[in-house]
Amino acid sequence: MSLRPRSRAPASGIDLDLADVRAAQRDPAAFATLYRRYVDRVYGYCFYLLGDHHDAEDATERTFLSALAAIDRYRDEGATFRSWLFRIAHNQLANALRARARRREAPIDAVDEPGIATSDPARLVDVADEAHRLRAAVSRLSDDRRQVVVLRFVDGLTAREIGEVLGRSEGAVRVLQHRALRELAGILDPTR
Amino acid sequence: MSHPPSVAERLDRAVDGVLDGLSPVVAAASAGTAPEARRLVELADGLCSSLVAPPASPRFEARLGARLAAASVARDPVAWALRHPRRLIVTGAVGSAVGVGVTAYAVWRSSRRAGGARWLIHR
Repeated sequence: MSLRPRSRAPASGIDLDLADVRAAQRDPAAFATLYRRYVDRVYGYCFYLLGDHHDAEDATERTFLSALAAIDRYRDEGATFRSWLFRIAHNQLANALRARARRREAPIDAVDEPGIATSDPARLVDVADEAHRLRAAVSRLSDDRRQVVVLRFVDGLTAREIGEVLGRSEGAVRVLQHRALRELAGILDPTR
Repeated sequence: MSHPPSVAERLDRAVDGVLDGLSPVVAAASAGTAPEARRLVELADGLCSSLVAPPASPRFEARLGARLAAASVARDPVAWALRHPRRLIVTGAVGSAVGVGVTAYAVWRSSRRAGGARWLIHR
């Protein structure tokens, strides 16, 4: 299976976005750089949690407008810019999910197939089937476990950053991740 | 005294390795995960490949980009004007035109009032 390394904050905790954040604080037009860098990731996070393109667009729009309005208040005090941004997205998602708590339908099953680098049709079908199975399994997780899985494997955030987004400790996120992976393994292979 | 890393902590380190592009076997070994947790590292590798963020539609991206650009201008009109000399000239010209208009209106109003007052005195 091909791997696609995610962009992660370095272990030292240096925020690679900081220079762009400073620029956006001086000149709001420079926020465009941060917007272009994160629009797909924030949208992906919203889509995986809401399961609907239209709702995901609404939540993404609110996230970026709120972030632009509050960019002056962002301070480099431990939390990276992207965990700050995803925290805003998380709050928007919480509002959206509360508003339609009872009418969520199988969300992430509808995601388009990722590009697969193989020309063998049989292999192509196998990989697509596996991806479909995994996404269907993730959609059965509880909201908090699904959020951890999406933030970790779709958006590439560290356990510490996810803790900042969800308002939990790094250790609690690791435990949630462990439980989510164990639950997924159980869903995918109930005999084990 | 430091505690040995927990199962969840070792697994997280292995996931870090997978996200950095290591094979699940290497990531699990370097993180020192227990044999029963290795299948979870393989699962993490599968998730890494299968869960891809669906891109936002270009139309939505462009529309939101335009809204943000407009919002950033509205947020700081002085900085917006100062950033480019041409904008400064336009802002100056608009400001002058408004100033001339307001002055002309004030002169016109005061002349009308003065005329009215004269008419009252002559009555």
